[in-house]
Amino acid sequence: MAGFSENHVEADGFRIRYREAGSGSTLVTLHGAGGLRVSRSHELLAEQHRVIVFEAPGFGASPANERSTSLMDLAATMGQATANLGLDRFSLMGNSFGGKLALWLAVQQPERIESLVLAAPAAIRPEQSIRVPAAERQGLMHAHPERQPALPPLDPAIVAKQETLVGRLMGPPRDETLEALFPNLTMPVLVLFGTLDRVIPLDMGRIYREKLPNCHFMLLYDAAHALDADRPEAFASVVNDFLARREGFIVNTDSGLIHP
Amino acid sequence: MSLGRSAAQKALVRGQIHGGMKAALFSSVPYMGPAPRGVWPVPSESYSSEVGERSMELSLDQFQLADEMGFDWVTVAEHHYAPMSLTPNPMIMAGALTQRVKRAKIALLGPDIPILNPVRVAEEFAMLDTMTGGRVIAGMLRGTSNEYVTYGLNPAESRERFEEALELIVKAWTEPQPFGWIGRYYEFRAVSIWPRPVQRPHPPIYVSASSPESGEFAARNHISVGFAFTTVPFAREAVRHYRQQATAAGWEPGPDNVLYRLTIHVAESDEQAIDDIVSAGGGERRTAYSTSNRAVDDSAADAGYYGRDTATQRARHAPHDLKERMELGQLITGSPESVLSQIRALRDELGAGILEVIFQPLGRDKVLRSMDLFGRKVLPKMRDI
Repeated sequence: MAGFSENHVEADGFRIRYREAGSGSTLVTLHGAGGLRVSRSHELLAEQHRVIVFEAPGFGASPANERSTSLMDLAATMGQATANLGLDRFSLMGNSFGGKLALWLAVQQPERIESLVLAAPAAIRPEQSIRVPAAERQGLMHAHPERQPALPPLDPAIVAKQETLVGRLMGPPRDETLEALFPNLTMPVLVLFGTLDRVIPLDMGRIYREKLPNCHFMLLYDAAHALDADRPEAFASVVNDFLARREGFIVNTDSGLIHP
Repeated sequence: MSLGRSAAQKALVRGQIHGGMKAALFSSVPYMGPAPRGVWPVPSESYSSEVGERSMELSLDQFQLADEMGFDWVTVAEHHYAPMSLTPNPMIMAGALTQRVKRAKIALLGPDIPILNPVRVAEEFAMLDTMTGGRVIAGMLRGTSNEYVTYGLNPAESRERFEEALELIVKAWTEPQPFGWIGRYYEFRAVSIWPRPVQRPHPPIYVSASSPESGEFAARNHISVGFAFTTVPFAREAVRHYRQQATAAGWEPGPDNVLYRLTIHVAESDEQAIDDIVSAGGGERRTAYSTSNRAVDDSAADAGYYGRDTATQRARHAPHDLKERMELGQLITGSPESVLSQIRALRDELGAGILEVIFQPLGRDKVLRSMDLFGRKVLPKMRDI
């Protein structure tokens, strides 16, 4: 993707790939269970921020990760990676699986997180979770799969490796240890769900609103689980505004002037 | 419709014309059950539809009682996303009131016109004026800063939208031929409303004049003003500015051009009145509605919502305890005699000819007793002030 450079950082003995673009205040992003993918929404976010897109160890071309024992453990590694990049305070965004990882990082180091964006986070899921075969995933992830750019076919070995890792680390649908720490997350949190999410019911978003002290719950119309890919302009617009204006972002500052 | 009588004669028959001060009963139609405080927007998870229904019925009864007691106006207003008011569209409440309130004027203070469709506002007022035979008072307000979040409007443009919307509403009421409006914030290619208002040229308009800009606007346009959620010291300064500007514009506002709203509680004695309030927990300091979301109010203030004296305008909404509220003229309380003397003082200090009261919410029985004392022992004597 244009403008995103690629690099690596060492943390906890892992060699962690990341991609970076933009300047300004830093936004660190953590991908979903499908692995790192820089999308149009990342580009739009990078127009206003320094965006660092991490690939968690064990995803993509990196070696299988058999050392991280839990998401809490992996979150500590990612926290170390941000520190090794010289980041002090930053905003953090996580999609789905990466949303739960981001929450674990935030509860471990809340003082470092300026604001937190959770896109269809997987930290709170119904008891009966939906298991989707990889072949059908693309169709289920998007509101309008036909509008998505064609992607190169997935390497079955990478898919299997990632699925094993996610299956091992994801944890229970409701993680009491994690949720017990929610009251410590006093930074502004933005939780976004697509109205057509067929992987995690958007009603789960309500629970974040109830349990996090400073949480905004937003519904992205006509978007499914991969909401940032389904409606990148809308997604990036609200996230950029939230990162810039924190809680004040609910006040519209666009002009309604028709004719000067 | 009785033919051959002038509007003034009809008003006399209805008891609408008298010397002295007028009394208005305001209710925000509050939710009468437990609900979170000090946040906005307020989560509706604890909302009970039975309590909501009962709350609206109680307010309708209160307005009807006020009408029977001889109040000159009953007043409703627009507020959103909070249990302090169940009338996000006050026009609907006013529509219900047209069937219950037979003598008093029905005032809306107001719709928050910058966040609404002004043509729709003109149409709704015209409907209400028709259903009441011309008893509607058309307050037009900007609303508090948080209201701009409700429909996603930019608070920085509030005043400009307000001034344009008001002019468009008056035009929609009065222009007999279809017209188009090419504004700055509004554009309509054809406007021609049915029904039109009964009152000609249009219903009386009241606006807020708490800020210097709004006072100047009202004075320049010969519009009446109302003060609510303020203090006597703030209102005194604002009224002085309004009168000064009116003089400069070549007219002199009379008592009916100035309304002051406050909270009231009347009991048999001064001590009893205080005791009623304190024992119901009404003595504590509370966060004002508009400032209960600090981030929103800060953002609106930064955008320029408050105009050229932001600090003063925001100070107006500072929370006060019982003693301070009494000293600042936000609350008058006591026996009928002492309430009356406080009303006299207000009339002298502000020149306000219309006193709009909110009965301190203390539960049905105490409110009814307070209203009864006010209606029998205070209201008749206000006619002599």
